[in-house]
Amino acid sequence: MTGNQATPAVRLDGITKRFGDVVANDGVDFTLERGTVHALLGENGSGKTTLMSVLYGLYDQNEGTIAVDGEERTFDSPRDAMDAGIGMIHQHFQLVGPMTVLQNVVLGHEPTDRGLVDEGSARAEIEAICDRYGFDVDEHLDERVVDLDLGVRQRVEIVKSLYRGAEVLILDEPTAVLTPQEVDSLIEVMSDLAADGRSLVFITHKLDEALSVADEVTVLRDGEAVGTVDAATTTEQELARMMVGREVLFDRRPRETEPGDPMLRVEGLRVTGDRGLERVSDVDFVVREGEILGVAGVQGNGQTELVEALTGLRPADSGAVVFDGDDVTGTSRRGRIRGGLVYIPEDRQTEGLVQDYDLVRNALLGNQTVEPYVTRGLIDWPAVREHAADIVDEYDVQPPTVDVEAASLSGGNQQKFIVGREIEHDPDVMVAAHPTRGVDIGSIEFIHDRLLDLRDEGLAVLLVSSKLEEIRTLSDRIAVMYEGEFIDTVDPDAVTDEDLGLLMAGRRPDEDTAVGEGGPAVADAGETGPTTAPDSEVER
Amino acid sequence: MSDADPGRGRAVLDAVAARMLDATVLQRLGIATASTALALAIGLVAVALSGYDPVAFLANVAEGAFGDANAIARTLKFTTMFVLVGVAVAVAFRAGVFNIGVQGQFVVGGFATVIAILQFAPLLPGGTVGGLALLVVGTVAGIVAGGLYGALPGVLKAYGDANEIITTIMLNFIAVGVVGFLVEGPLRGEGNRAPNTERLPEYVQLPPVVFDSPDFSLVGLAVALVVVVVVSFLMVRTRIGYDMVTSGHQAAAATFSGADARRTVVTTMTLSGMVAGVAGAVFAVMIQGYYSDPSGVATYGFDAIAVSLLAANNPLGVVPAALLFGGLDSAGTHLSINSDVPPQLIDGVVGLVVLFVAAPELFRMAARRAGLGGENR
Repeated sequence: MTGNQATPAVRLDGITKRFGDVVANDGVDFTLERGTVHALLGENGSGKTTLMSVLYGLYDQNEGTIAVDGEERTFDSPRDAMDAGIGMIHQHFQLVGPMTVLQNVVLGHEPTDRGLVDEGSARAEIEAICDRYGFDVDEHLDERVVDLDLGVRQRVEIVKSLYRGAEVLILDEPTAVLTPQEVDSLIEVMSDLAADGRSLVFITHKLDEALSVADEVTVLRDGEAVGTVDAATTTEQELARMMVGREVLFDRRPRETEPGDPMLRVEGLRVTGDRGLERVSDVDFVVREGEILGVAGVQGNGQTELVEALTGLRPADSGAVVFDGDDVTGTSRRGRIRGGLVYIPEDRQTEGLVQDYDLVRNALLGNQTVEPYVTRGLIDWPAVREHAADIVDEYDVQPPTVDVEAASLSGGNQQKFIVGREIEHDPDVMVAAHPTRGVDIGSIEFIHDRLLDLRDEGLAVLLVSSKLEEIRTLSDRIAVMYEGEFIDTVDPDAVTDEDLGLLMAGRRPDEDTAVGEGGPAVADAGETGPTTAPDSEVER
Repeated sequence: MSDADPGRGRAVLDAVAARMLDATVLQRLGIATASTALALAIGLVAVALSGYDPVAFLANVAEGAFGDANAIARTLKFTTMFVLVGVAVAVAFRAGVFNIGVQGQFVVGGFATVIAILQFAPLLPGGTVGGLALLVVGTVAGIVAGGLYGALPGVLKAYGDANEIITTIMLNFIAVGVVGFLVEGPLRGEGNRAPNTERLPEYVQLPPVVFDSPDFSLVGLAVALVVVVVVSFLMVRTRIGYDMVTSGHQAAAATFSGADARRTVVTTMTLSGMVAGVAGAVFAVMIQGYYSDPSGVATYGFDAIAVSLLAANNPLGVVPAALLFGGLDSAGTHLSINSDVPPQLIDGVVGLVVLFVAAPELFRMAARRAGLGGENR
């Protein structure tokens, strides 16, 4: 690879990638300068991985051009991209577990000597790479990959790419599986590689990591590049605001009722995540009847685990979850559904719908204990069918038929069906996780209206969303979650976007940003009850 | 590194897969019939090349499968067994649990049936009434034993994270070994030269209906069909079935809906084992009349996997699949007695038929798994 310093290593121009009706990347420009680390920042589903998969030859773009070293290229497969010096390290490592590190690194590119694999020269070459960057991978060359820590495996992946001559390295969420110490050493490795003249794309949704290593940061939101900023001059809160954005949304609907008694109460909740780390740390809050509590925060700060613990999908380590006076901390998922809790799941594709069931069979999902659909364990399919037809009708699901597989519906219509099914369950408590993620604008408005209807009907609603505007539009109070804690609870009318950005970046509130009404209500409502009507009537 | 090459080969595969996946039931039956004919044609060429008369071979196949009342009874006897063990496998596979241990559950269930009947026989009166009561006792014993033997790997999977494929295979060996030891020694019938239990009393047998066969009764087939209906009902019309099938389709969605993943695994394995237990009971009462060393007994529990796959793990589809297997086995038995074609060649031809009939279904499964046949499959 030649190219002088002035030519960027990679230049993407107007990349558009569509999957059916879904636009994953919409005219994205992206320039990777030589010898730098460029962070690609955005929420899940914002199109980061899609964009880099286009560069890596996994997807064909619908529009736009790719230039490597100033030369326009088309890649039909990752092999083409690799030949052009582009390597990608996926979120899920592409290593063969039972094979040794050496075998993994050379796999497909084995140096041969008269038809036999020349292990000696492979070893020498890998050791040279490791020496150059101070990797410890050469200490493990003869160990099997399954016996190694994730951090070492990741370095094996990096060495593998370097061994294949990668000048451009794409790292897809590389810190997701690492411990904090491993993250530090990865960041060091990235800096060293850049200093050596390699160019790196660092895909992440973590603000601090992006800022700690990147030279430039490009933020993607809903498939569009919001902007590229210089890491040296930007701040975490600016990035947070760019990530969650400011959509042109609707005015808040004035409330007609006052919040009533506490309906959902959480005390001292602690929850462990999948990797054995505590993800929810001593969280307390109350949601009252007729109230929407919004949980804001950058994704990955414990929101998912909190929601799973509330809905009965994940056990709590300690603390209590109370619905309407009943302690349900140890109650099964089905028990909580029976108790009147409904849940719009974060992942509608794998949780909310069975993709190859039609809408009739999907209408029963979560309703297996509800009469008249199921009586004494027996399913009344005609009744379920009628119910499905009602949901399709009332929630404007397109196409208007129940005899289609869930997979054939667009994201917005899948979501409307789920929202309808959950609301028609006649709940007391609604937990909605990212209810409008990846949903078209019309459906967003519709879903927002339904959630506000629930509030007006006196339900307690917990809304988790990474869209700031959504949280601000719908919530009566906003709790900001950071590293497993609710670091503050604020009034959406009194708080500025800047303050929210600061809180989401983990800056603890000063006295004057905390809002009096929300704070004490959280701490006290459980004991004192709603003796005083809140005075934060919303009129805007 | 995944090397996605969206080339022409993929497009052709996509088109074929879409066609296969969209085939109606009638078309599928047509495909199965054509596959059987094609496989037989190729098999006959092989027979001819080996120096045997292909016309006589074909005549023997037809005669052996449905040539006379005896042949039909034999075909239906095998069909009965294949229906039961096939349903046992289908129940588990449907729910995403790979019960390879139907053979073990079948052996344990059948053995328990014989032991229970022998134990209770002295306590009950003889004759029709006693026989009926003992049949009920024996069947219940078979169901319970098969169910428990299926529940064991279910519990190991649910609470110990033990892979059910491995545990059920191991439990197959244990079942055969332990039952073999018991009939060899402690429970061998008095004066038996072979390692068998005592014979069941004369009055404990399924009544002959239409067919006067020593080892087939339409009652046995009826039991198998009742099991098919009951299991289908359970899978389609009950909450337990919905939870099971949903777990098999999409585990995360089942969990979301409140199905307890662990309990569902145990339920599934227990149910599968219970059906295998019924198969064991029917085998013991209708076919054997005693229990012998299971290492020498027919391996219905293994053939069951092929039957179930052929039926796309649909309990109703198991019936025609079992009929095909039953017919082929019956024809094979007839051929091995009435022709000088070597058994290896017969097995080869039978294998060809199974392969050809199963290939479209296997292709469908593979296509679905690989995401072929267009988007959203």
